[in-house]
Amino acid sequence: MKNIFTIIIRLTLSCLVAAFVMGLFFVLTSKAKKHNEHVNEEKTMYSLLGYKDVASVPQTVKLYAVYRYIVTDLKGKSIAYLVPTGQGASVGFSFITLDLDGKLIDQKPVTVSADDAAEQESRDKAIKVALGSGKEIAYAEDKTIIVTENGARTAYLINGKFPGFKASISVMLALKPDFGIRGMAIVEHEEDPGLGAEIEKKYFKNQFIDKSFAALKTLDVVKEPLPEGYRKSLEGPLDNADDEKILQQYKDHAIYALTGATISSRSVTNGVKGTVAKFAYRINILDNVLKEQNIVVPF
Amino acid sequence: MANDKSSMQLVANGILKENPIFRLALSMCPAVGISTTVMNGFMLGVAVLFVQVCSSLTISTVKNFIHPRIRIPTYTLTIATWVTVIDMVLAAYMPEAYSKMGIFVKLIVAFAIITMRLEMFACKEPVGASFWDGLGMGMGFMIGMMTIGLVRELLGSGTILGYDVLGFKPLLFFILPSAGFFVVGLMMAFFNYIEIFYKRQKGFKS
Repeated sequence: MKNIFTIIIRLTLSCLVAAFVMGLFFVLTSKAKKHNEHVNEEKTMYSLLGYKDVASVPQTVKLYAVYRYIVTDLKGKSIAYLVPTGQGASVGFSFITLDLDGKLIDQKPVTVSADDAAEQESRDKAIKVALGSGKEIAYAEDKTIIVTENGARTAYLINGKFPGFKASISVMLALKPDFGIRGMAIVEHEEDPGLGAEIEKKYFKNQFIDKSFAALKTLDVVKEPLPEGYRKSLEGPLDNADDEKILQQYKDHAIYALTGATISSRSVTNGVKGTVAKFAYRINILDNVLKEQNIVVPF
Repeated sequence: MANDKSSMQLVANGILKENPIFRLALSMCPAVGISTTVMNGFMLGVAVLFVQVCSSLTISTVKNFIHPRIRIPTYTLTIATWVTVIDMVLAAYMPEAYSKMGIFVKLIVAFAIITMRLEMFACKEPVGASFWDGLGMGMGFMIGMMTIGLVRELLGSGTILGYDVLGFKPLLFFILPSAGFFVVGLMMAFFNYIEIFYKRQKGFKS
C-alpha cells in the first residue's frame, strides 16, 4: 500500500517536471516556428503565382488579403469579411457584415495598419474595437488573397482543408479570375509515404492545372494508368511544343488516381472541387454587395 | 559495478567495442529505414546523440529517487521529454531538415538503444561516467548510421552528400529498405572480422 502512494507521487512529480521542460522549450521555440510557417506560406504563395520571391514581384502586381469572420450577436449568426477599401495610397480596411442571404447588414471602417491586419491577434482586436460591444467575432480560418495587376484581377489564392486518408490535407490553390485552376500546392498532409504521399508529386498535383471551372464541377477520378507522355509533360520541364499539346489534350480530362492510393486521390479531387465551388459562391456574393453598395475596393 | 574506465575509454567503447548498430544490433529498424544518405544518417545520429546524452545525464542525476518498480516508465518519460524538446528545436531552427525526417525524430522514443543504456549504465554509474557513456553510444550510433548511409548512397544513387561522384546509379536496390539489412550485415561481418584479427595478433604476440 505504501509503495502505491510513493509510486503515484513520484510519477506525478516526474510528469510535472517533464511537462515543465517541454512547455519551456515550446515557449522558447514558438516564435521561430511561427516565423518559419510564415516564410513557408509566402514561399508557396509566390511560387504558385510563378515568382521566385517577394523581390521578383513586379511593381504593378498587388496582393490584397480578405479575411472571413463569423459574427454572433443577439439576432443570430452572420458572415463578415474584412476587406481593404479605398484606392491608391489611401487604402484602409472595412468590416462588412452580411446576413445568410447575402444582403448587407452593416459596414464599419476598421483602423488597423496593414502589418497588424496580417496578424490574427491584432486584427481581431481592431475589429472588436470597431464593432463595439454586444458582438462576438470568430475568425473562420479563411484567408483569400486577391492578386491584381494594374488594377485588374489576375488570380485568387485560397486555402483548402479537407479529410484525406487518415488526417486532414491542407492545400493552397491559385485560381484564375474565372475560377479555373492555375496551380496547386499541398501544404500539409499525413498520407502514407510511397502511397498517398505521392499527392505531393508533380505528376499528380499538376494534373489539376488548367482545369476549367465548368470541368471542375463534374471532375472525376479514373483508375487507369497515367499515360507516359502525359506524365512526362506533367513533371516538366516542357521541352517542346508537343508537350504543350499533350497538356492541352488532357486539359479537362478526369484525374488519374495514384496507384494504391485511390482514397487519397479522391479526397484531394473532391476537396479541391468543394473548396473552389464554395469560394466561387462566396466571392460572387461579396462582389455583388460591394457593387450594390458602391464600396470602393482596390481589387 | 565499479567504474574503472577513463572517460575516453567509455567513449571509444560506445563507438567500437559496443557499437549500438554493429555490435549490439539494437535499433535496427531506424538504421535500415533512414540511412539512405549520409546526411539523413547524420541528422538522425545527432538527434539520437542529444537524446542519449540528456537522458543519461537526467537518469544518472536522479537515480537515487527512482522507485525500482517504475524504472522503465521513468526512463520512457525522460526519453519522451528530450525527444519532444529536440523535435521542437529542429522544427523551429532547421525546418528544411525537419520536413524530411520529422516522423523519425518522434520515433526515437522507442529506440531500444537509449532505454537499454539507461538501464545498463546510467542508473548505476555517476553522472560524469554516464555522460561519457551516453556520448560514446550516441556517437557510435551516429557513425554507424553515417557509414551505412555512405555505402547505400554511393551504391544506390552514385552520390556522396548529394554530390555526384560516380555519374551513374550502380544499384537502385540499395536505396530500398531491404538493402539496409544487407549493408548492416556486411558491416557486422567486417567489425567482427577486425575484432578476431586483432585478438589473434595479440594472441600471437603474447
